[in-house]
Order: sequence, then C-alpha cells, then structure tokens
Amino acid sequence: MTNDLMLLMPLIIVGAGAILLMLSSAYQKLTHEMAAYGSALVFAVAFLVQLSACITGNAVLFSGAFNGLLVASSFSKAAGLIILACGFFTAMSSHTYFKQNDFCSPEYYSLMVFAASGMLLLTMAQELITVFIALEIMSLAIYILVGYDRKNVISTEAVLKYLMLGAFAGAFLTMGAAFVYGATGSTKFVKIAQYVAAHGFMQTPALIGGSFFILVAFLFKAAAFPFHAWVVDVYDGASVPVTGYMATGLKTAIFAVFANFLVLDASLQSGWITYLFYIAVFTMFVGNLIAIGQQSLKRMLAASGIVHTGYLLIALVAVSTKDFTGSVIAYYLAAYAASTLGIFCALSYLGGAGEKRSTFDDFKGLAKSRPYSAAAVSVFLLSMAGIPPTAGFMGKFYIITSAIEAGQVTLAVLGIVSSIISMWYYLRLIINMYFCEAEEQFGEAVPSNLAPICTFVLVVCVFAISLYPVVI
Amino acid sequence: MFAHVLSVIIFLPIIAGLLLLATPASRNIARFTGMIVSLAALVLSLDLYMGFQSTGHLEFVENIPWIASLGVSYALGVDGISLFILMAGSVLLPMVYFVFATKEKGYYANLLIVQGAMAGAVCAADMILFYIFWEVMLLPVFFMLGLYGGPKRLPATLKITLYTIAGSLLMLAAIVYLGVSYHAQFNEWSFALDKMAQLNLSGRVAAVAFFGFMIAFAIKIPLFPFHTWLPDAYTEAPTATTFVLSAIMAKIGVYGVIRFVVPVFDQEFARFAVLLAYSGVIGMMYCGIAAITQKDFKRMLAFSSASHMGIIALGVFCMNVQALTGSIYQIVAHATSTGVLFLFAGILEERTQTRTISDLGGIAAKAPVFALYFAIAMLASVGLPGTSGFIGEFMIILGAVKFNTAVGVLAGTTLIIGVCYMLWMFQRVFFEKATPKSENFKDFSLIEGLAFLPVIILIIVMGVYPQPFLSKITPSTALQFASAAPVVAQAASATNAHLPELTIEQK
Repeated sequence: MTNDLMLLMPLIIVGAGAILLMLSSAYQKLTHEMAAYGSALVFAVAFLVQLSACITGNAVLFSGAFNGLLVASSFSKAAGLIILACGFFTAMSSHTYFKQNDFCSPEYYSLMVFAASGMLLLTMAQELITVFIALEIMSLAIYILVGYDRKNVISTEAVLKYLMLGAFAGAFLTMGAAFVYGATGSTKFVKIAQYVAAHGFMQTPALIGGSFFILVAFLFKAAAFPFHAWVVDVYDGASVPVTGYMATGLKTAIFAVFANFLVLDASLQSGWITYLFYIAVFTMFVGNLIAIGQQSLKRMLAASGIVHTGYLLIALVAVSTKDFTGSVIAYYLAAYAASTLGIFCALSYLGGAGEKRSTFDDFKGLAKSRPYSAAAVSVFLLSMAGIPPTAGFMGKFYIITSAIEAGQVTLAVLGIVSSIISMWYYLRLIINMYFCEAEEQFGEAVPSNLAPICTFVLVVCVFAISLYPVVI
Repeated sequence: MFAHVLSVIIFLPIIAGLLLLATPASRNIARFTGMIVSLAALVLSLDLYMGFQSTGHLEFVENIPWIASLGVSYALGVDGISLFILMAGSVLLPMVYFVFATKEKGYYANLLIVQGAMAGAVCAADMILFYIFWEVMLLPVFFMLGLYGGPKRLPATLKITLYTIAGSLLMLAAIVYLGVSYHAQFNEWSFALDKMAQLNLSGRVAAVAFFGFMIAFAIKIPLFPFHTWLPDAYTEAPTATTFVLSAIMAKIGVYGVIRFVVPVFDQEFARFAVLLAYSGVIGMMYCGIAAITQKDFKRMLAFSSASHMGIIALGVFCMNVQALTGSIYQIVAHATSTGVLFLFAGILEERTQTRTISDLGGIAAKAPVFALYFAIAMLASVGLPGTSGFIGEFMIILGAVKFNTAVGVLAGTTLIIGVCYMLWMFQRVFFEKATPKSENFKDFSLIEGLAFLPVIILIIVMGVYPQPFLSKITPSTALQFASAAPVVAQAASATNAHLPELTIEQK
C-alpha cells in the first residue's frame, strides 16, 4: 500500500502541482517568474521522489482499487525520470526565454506541468481507456502551449494543424480501442494478451483492425512516416522551449506506451514487425531528406527529430517480448533527450527577442562571439550525430547491437547509412559556427543565467550518460 | 614506473587539451603546456619502451569492466606492433611545439587531444574502446583543418570528415556484428580483441563485415582508390595537422588492418589478399606518378606520402613475417622521414610565403643545415641504404616477392619513381639559382636544429643498426602468424586451385 503510494507519488505531486499552479494563477497571485520557479520545483521534487522510489520489478499499483490499470515497471520509472527532467529543464529555459519574449502568463507553466502529468500517466497505463485519457491530458495542454503566442501567424497556423490532425489521431485511438474491445472483451493489456495467446492474432479481423488504428495514433504522435508531415511546421511554429519539450518529453511518453503495447504478446509484435521495419526505414530516410533542405535551425531539428523516431522504431522492432526491460529504448530516449533539450535550452537564450536568430546563416561566427555556447551546441550536435564519446553514440551502439542480435542486420545497416547522411546537416551548423565569419550582428546580452546554466548541466549529462552502462 | 602508465599517456594530453580549450589561456601558456605535456608523454613512453619485455603478447595490460552486460571493457595494452606506433607519436609530436611558436591556443590544444586519442586507439584492446578513440581522433583534425587551414580549407574539411566518418560508421556495424557473432558462438558477450580471433566466420555476411572494416581502414591509410580526400586535406591543412595525419594517423589505419582484419577475418583476408596487394601497388604507382607532376611541394609530398603508404599496406597484405615486420619498421621510418619532411615543408612555406616549387631555388647555399636535414629525411624517404627507409622497404619487397612474384617485382620497380620526384624536387628547390622569394631564407635557429636532431639521428641509427628495434617487433609479428597459420594455410590450399600463382608462406 505505502509502496504503491510511493510509486504513484511523482504523478500525484505533478498533478497536484499543476492544479495548484493553475488556481494561483487564476487568482493572480503569481508573477510568471514565480510560476517558472514553482513548476521547476514541482518537477524537481517529483524527480527526486521518482529517483528514490527505486523498488525494482513490476508492481501493479493499487490492484484492488484501480483494477490493474496502472503498472510501474523499471521502464516506466526510467521514462518518468526522463519526462520529469525534460520538464525541469524546459521550465528553466522558458524562464530565460520569456525575458526576451513577452507573450507569457503564469498559466503557461501550469499547462506544462499538466502535460507532464499526462505523460507520466501514459508511461504507466496498461489499459486502453487510460491510455486515451492520458494522451488527451497531455495533448490538450500541448495544443495550447504550441499556440501560446496568439499574435504570431505561424504559431496559430501550427496549432490549427496540430489540433486538427491530433484530434484525428485521438479518434483513431478510440476507434481502435473499441475494435479491440469488441474482439477481446477487454481493454486491459493483460487480458488482451491472454486473448491473443489463446486465439492467435491473425484469426480475429477486429483485433487486426483495432491494433492498426491504435498504431496509427501512436505513429502520428511519435512523428513517424507516413504521419510526419505536421512535425516540421508545428515545431517551427511553437516557441523554442515548447518545441524542445515536445521533441523530448512527449516522444518519451509515446514510445513508452508504444513499447508497452507492442510487447503485450509476441504474435502481436511479429504481426506488425514487417510494417514497422518499413516504417522505420522510411521514417529515417524521409526525415533525412527533409532535414537536408532546411535553412532554419528549428526546422532542421524538427526533421532530425523524425530521424531519431526512426532509430527508436529500430529499437522497437528489435525488442524482445520476453523479459522486456526496455532499457535500450529508455537509454536512447535519455541520450536523445539530453542533447535535444540542450540545444533547445541554448536556442532559448541565443535566439534573442522574437527568435531573430533562426537560420543556419545567423549562426555564423558564433564561436567567436560566444565560444562556450558554441562548444556546448557542438557537443549536442555531435551527440545527435552519434559521435563518441557522447551519449548519442552509446545510444546508437545499443540500438544497433539489439537490432543485430534480433537478426535485423539490414535494419541496423540502414540505420547506420542514415546516420552517415545526417552527419551533413549536423556538421553544417558546426562549420557555420566555427569556420565562417559572422554576417550579421546580434545582441549578445543574456537576460538570465538559468538557461545557460542548464545548457552546461546538460553538456555534463551528455557525457555522464555515455559512461553509464546499461543492462540489456 | 607505475601502474596505469598507458592511461596516463592517453589521458594526460587529452585532459590538458580540454583544459586549455575551456580556459582563456594565452597562446604562450598553451604552447608551453603542450611542450611540457608532450615531453611528459615522451618520458613515459620511453620508460614504457625500456620496460617492454618483447614477449609478443600484450603488455602493460589494464582491464576494467565497463558495460558488463555486453562484455565491453576499458582494456589497454601494447605489443610489438602497437608499441612502435605509440613511440612514433610520442617522439615526433613534441617537435611541433618547439618549431611552431606563433600558432593560436586552439592549435596546440587540438594537437594535444589528437595525440592522446591516437595513443588511445593504438593501445585499446577492446573494439568499442578502439572505435571511440578512432572517432575522437578525427574531431581535432576537423577543427584544426577548418580553423587554421589554407584558403580552400572548407571543401577539404568536409571531404575528409564525411569520408572518414562514413567509413568508420560502417566499421561500427562490423564491430557490432563481430560482438553478436561471438555471443552466438560462445554464449558470452565480449568485444575484446584477443577473443575475436577464436571466431569462426564464414559466408557472405562475414565477407561484408570484412569489407566494413577494410574500407574504414583503407580510407584512413588511404589505399587506392579511397585516396581522393588526401591531396586536398594534406595540402590545405596546417603543417602540424598534415604531419599528424601522415606520420601517425595514416599508420593507425594500417595498424587496424593488422590488429582487426588479419586475425579475425583470416579466411576472407587470404581470399582477397592478392586484390588488396595489387591495390597497394597501384596506389604506389599512381600516387608516385602524380607526385612527379605536382607544382606545389606540399601537394607533392602529400602524393609521395600516399605512395609510401601503399608499400606499407602492401607489406601487411603479403601475409608473411618478413613483410609484416618490414611494414612495422617502415611505419616508423615513414613517420620519421615523410612526417619530418612535412614539417620542413611547413617551415619552408612560413619563411618564403610560397608553396610553388618553381618560385624557389638555391636554398642549400643560404641554409646549409636545413638543406642537410632535408636531404637526410628525403633520402630516408626514398629508401637509400644506410637510412631507416631502406630496411623496411627491403623487408617488404622480400616478403612481397615470396608472396607473389609479380607484385614483388612491380613494387620493387615502383620505388624508382619515388627517387625521381624527390631528387628532382630537391634539385629545383635547393640548388639552381636563388629566386627573389628564397633569397632571404634564414637557416635553422639553434633550438630548431636541436629539436630536429634526435629524429635525424634516429633515421641513421635505424638504418645502420636495426636489430634492437626488430627484436622488439618480431615476437609479435611472428605470433600473428603462429596463431593464424593453420587457417591461412587451409584457405591458401582452398584458393590455390583458382589462383595458381598464389603462394603463401606456411610457417
């Protein structure tokens, strides 16, 4: 009982914190700076509680009261840690970002915490209705965050696009859940697995259709091919910290629930593995093609996010349903989150007012004017490109190892070819920063030290994660 | 002297370099730090050299488990093969700090990092650790070339970086494939080098993995036809980078072939050895002929370096002890001769502001010491008896003739091309009439003369009395063939039906 409460505590803290923040901003008790510190505090406390609750093994939370809806496993705990850390760093970089941009109100931070509570719930959910509720808690908050700059046309376009398509994805998920319920008589993952084990996966058309719809919803949220078209515009329209949050926290949550759903049963996974194979390959290469052509850094990062979804899909194809620990996926998510968050943290103070500095050309000569920030950004880029000794390299190494171990040699080689191609656009920014002369001057005043500090903490994280060994 | 001496040799320069980059140190502080750290590394390496037992196996072993679940460990060690590449780096790199006094902080710092990373790649006894150092050693080159290179540095930087990274990522796939195969065959995870030799690989995937390794190393060496990045990078790079690339980094490519490809992929290696040997010989000829026509002496040296790398690689592909020992010996000889020639070329360029051969002339009269040093290094590079270059080339040709007469004869006759371009260049630059640009050429200062003196002496000592060096190399090279011999012999008898001229020494 106490044990269950402890495992659920991060979610409770985040949920309560979100409501508290929302109430106090409704009564106008908070400046937005205080809200930033408040949300960061909520994330920090929840992170520490999550870290201390390291009781290993899977525990079904409040199995009597919740009827097995929520399960805390080592994978969900790791994903929770990543999400909470993402929230913390996003809150910090938002604080600095809003020193230069003025469309903030305290509700912004409360929405961020709400989104995190949805993500946490998503990592633990073992039942389709709960998945839907968690997904919507997360998505609704994210929709608003994307369109927070109401006077900005690009941002408004982004939120419209995301909302329309996201609503479709949500509808697909409910549709799929209904189909699966119709076929198996239950929405619980355990029961579905028992049904699949007893009756086989391919024998029930409703089950195939239902899981297809559910996969569509997940692939949409994870920004995989062929549901990737929204990513570039939406990431571009959202403000820098929100983009970073979406690229890391949201993706972590989606991949957690995706993996949990796929490892339900071996025949379910093997039924989809061929399709996932092609989806992974196309996601990587389409993402690369989009990224190569971009002039804006944010759009390039959005497209590179698609590529990283492809790498994570490789890991999903290669997960074994027996003794699933998800450590490869969790490790890659952590490595990816550290470098992506880092670069968005850096962008939130390098961008300047109104995100003036945005294209590759604007970053020319940055190494001269801000040598430390340029070095940090280079470390993050090298990590995303998978150059040792960064975390990104180790993440890629684990993914390739698990793919080859699972017999997917072709997929592993294609993943490597894709990362060779991706070198081009990562190196391009480093070359611009170091080897080119500045063409335009930007005000280099830093409004607050929080985001720079976070950036350097994340640099340390990138190296620290790479030294941390993982158990496969 | 103490335990973990290898770790210190590796990480002392890396940490010093990173500290220099992170702090706002002046260029003088950077230079002196570099000098002291590289001299410290030299002292430690000399100590290592003295304590080396020449057992043939890895010595000074350090082994700390890192990723236990995958069998990856932080494992270091040196044997007779790696010792000499390590020594070449430690002996040659301190000179740069003495000779080039006016470079920027990042120049010295990157040089330190690359020194540590190269030592790490040479000492690593675990494939993942090797790969990490292998990639890390490219990064300082990338920055040095891009920041301090010549006017056309950007395309050259991109070319070398993308080329090498593409190769090494394919190697990563091959490394992982080996690890997984080891897991499948022995039910235990390991990426340790010495365990990979037990692997029994066959079939198409093994051949693909073999080429995964081979292409990565061929790009780094560079072996024909993967040499196209070399002329641009060597020419545009600042002198120290060219020096590092040609003197040591290229050798790590050869080292990789000896360490990874020969013991693990013995069957594939035996199958493709003739092809590879011809590619080495063609590279020798092609780059040698290209060198003759160059107007820029740095570019000429670049082609000459590539040509010599062809013969070093050939020594590895001949699959016998003489050629392999000759290759290791030639690695050191080439590092001391061609590497030093690049430094001389850098000095020449700095003092005359030109790289065009026809702009120069009559330097021998103005600068006798410089001309003498240059002549000795040049003669060693073309393999004159009595210099270090002769011993290595002689052994390689001997081994090549044993391996395949045609290859041996071709390689032996190609050496004459080297004499052509080198002597012709020497004549045009150092003799003939002085030109306006070379009129005021200043000779070496005392410090410069003393800094280069040990290497010049080493060239002659290695040429006159090679035995002490050979006795450290031979046990390790002999061991390479002692373990691989049965398989090589089998593969040879299997392939002999198709290739009657293929004769492999069966020791």
